[in-house]
Amino acid sequence: MFLNGIEQLLRRKIVLIAGIAALIFLGFYWWGISAASSAFDKGELTSWDEEAQTVVSMLRPADAALAAIITAGPLAATLITALAVVLGSSMLPEEISRGRMPFWLSLPQSRLRVYSMISLAPFAVSLGLALLLFGGILGITRLYFPFTSRNLILAFFSMILWLGVVWSCVTALSIILRKVASMVITFFLAGLASMFGGVYELMMMFPGEAPAALVTVARVTMFVFPADRGFRGVLYGIIPVDAAVTENMAFFGVTAEIPPEHLMYGAVWALLLLWLGYLRFRKMDF
Amino acid sequence: MREEPVILVSEISKSYRKVRALRDLDLTVNCGTSFSLLGPNGAGKTTLMKILLGLVRPDSGKAFLSDHPVSSPLARKGVRFLPESVTFPDWASPAILFKQLERIRGEASREDFDRRCTELDCIHLIDRPVGKMSRGQRQRVALSMVTAGSPSLVFLDEPSSGLDPAGRILVRNLIRRLSTEGSTVMINSHLLGEVERTCDRAAFISEGRLMAEGDIDTLSRQKGLALVSTADPDPMRAALSAMGFSCRPAEKGITADLPDPSHFPALTASVVETGIGFTGVTLLREDLEEVFLRIMGEQHPGDGSFS
Repeated sequence: MFLNGIEQLLRRKIVLIAGIAALIFLGFYWWGISAASSAFDKGELTSWDEEAQTVVSMLRPADAALAAIITAGPLAATLITALAVVLGSSMLPEEISRGRMPFWLSLPQSRLRVYSMISLAPFAVSLGLALLLFGGILGITRLYFPFTSRNLILAFFSMILWLGVVWSCVTALSIILRKVASMVITFFLAGLASMFGGVYELMMMFPGEAPAALVTVARVTMFVFPADRGFRGVLYGIIPVDAAVTENMAFFGVTAEIPPEHLMYGAVWALLLLWLGYLRFRKMDF
Repeated sequence: MREEPVILVSEISKSYRKVRALRDLDLTVNCGTSFSLLGPNGAGKTTLMKILLGLVRPDSGKAFLSDHPVSSPLARKGVRFLPESVTFPDWASPAILFKQLERIRGEASREDFDRRCTELDCIHLIDRPVGKMSRGQRQRVALSMVTAGSPSLVFLDEPSSGLDPAGRILVRNLIRRLSTEGSTVMINSHLLGEVERTCDRAAFISEGRLMAEGDIDTLSRQKGLALVSTADPDPMRAALSAMGFSCRPAEKGITADLPDPSHFPALTASVVETGIGFTGVTLLREDLEEVFLRIMGEQHPGDGSFS
């Protein structure tokens, strides 16, 4: 069932387009990084005023890598989130609307298996694209600016969590509210979570300074849709540990830390949403 | 056919909002039977079939396939289903679809599939994308996929849908072959002629209730008529009328009223006595369409909707 879903998704034009877009993105990134690398090597980055020159003279190749990653990461994340939402919102509803569900359910397999295996395929494809893009970003950057990532294992699990939250939300909503509504709501929640996730990081730099209401709203958003913690975990995991710039990273949207309980909460949240979707699916007549 | 129930339905009821699709329906189907569900549109036939396949949950009652409750995946081991309308992905060829199907059910080999495709005259379509096939071709391919191997129980919802006359004959032969090979076949079809030619037993359902169930031959009543096949209908009609039989012209002869079947030998003797050439004397029975109209007419007496 899972392999059938993958086989079907890989034939979709949107997956092909996303794959091509990812390769074009990486191509441009490669071009940009190689250009930045030559400039960095020639010292062309030191053409500002005296104070700036002092700062720049302290920068290491890992700092250039940091700048490149935090610039490219959110752009890549937008493409990945879009693909996850579009595929996740359409997989189950299309199997139902095209009359294939009675066919699959009449085979000797449980409803839970049909639900989980069909819906798992979009997650796997989105994860594949995420690995391609972030792996590509990491690989290309390291080619020109050698550095050591902070924690690649954390980055991988954070990626699963980030996509898992988006996927479980869109999957559950697609079975409860159907295709378009699930797409719009998940995009909205992902955008909102991203915005308040960034705001939250900034607020953590200035404890007690932000209005209490804003802190509450940011926390509630992270609680309601914990995808952003996963994405920031990816960024946190892949950025250089050996860069000179280590302070005030929240200005660039990078979190200071990802507590394990945040990841655990996201995982439980994703499983709960999937289960809610299954409860609806289990009661459906086909 | 073995006296061993493969389908057992006990007091099944199902409602869709305010519409009662099935009402306390009981049904037993034995192994190796080719069985048909008959009834007007909206009678509950498809709902019953879907309950048996676990696609629809009944409000009350119990249903079993091979002693397993229908909610269990075990009940569907060896069971095949062809829905009335299923849309396969346009890009996929029957070979790919069969491979996908077998990844899940693992009950038939590629050779089994090829054999079925040959029987249904669609082996040449095996590598053609489904999107480039006509409706009838898709139906043949789907039937081949569903019935490949040795299924124990096959549910077919309108299997002849979209098929030309040649295709219908192939499907008829397929159903007979499945029965011969020991499969139980349950068909939901509006083509009563096809059902009459392929099924042993039938259940008539109306407004969610089981109206009648049994061997098609048993359900078919004698019509109280006998057909005298003769090349000289007018002299035969005149002669038999003179002997006290009420006769009417018919295709290939005449029909004589015979309210009491015990008078059949007397009629035969009278036909011989006329001295007019004849090729046969037959007691007429209802065909399935007439049985259908009678049973449904009993459900709606006097409203004329089934007359």
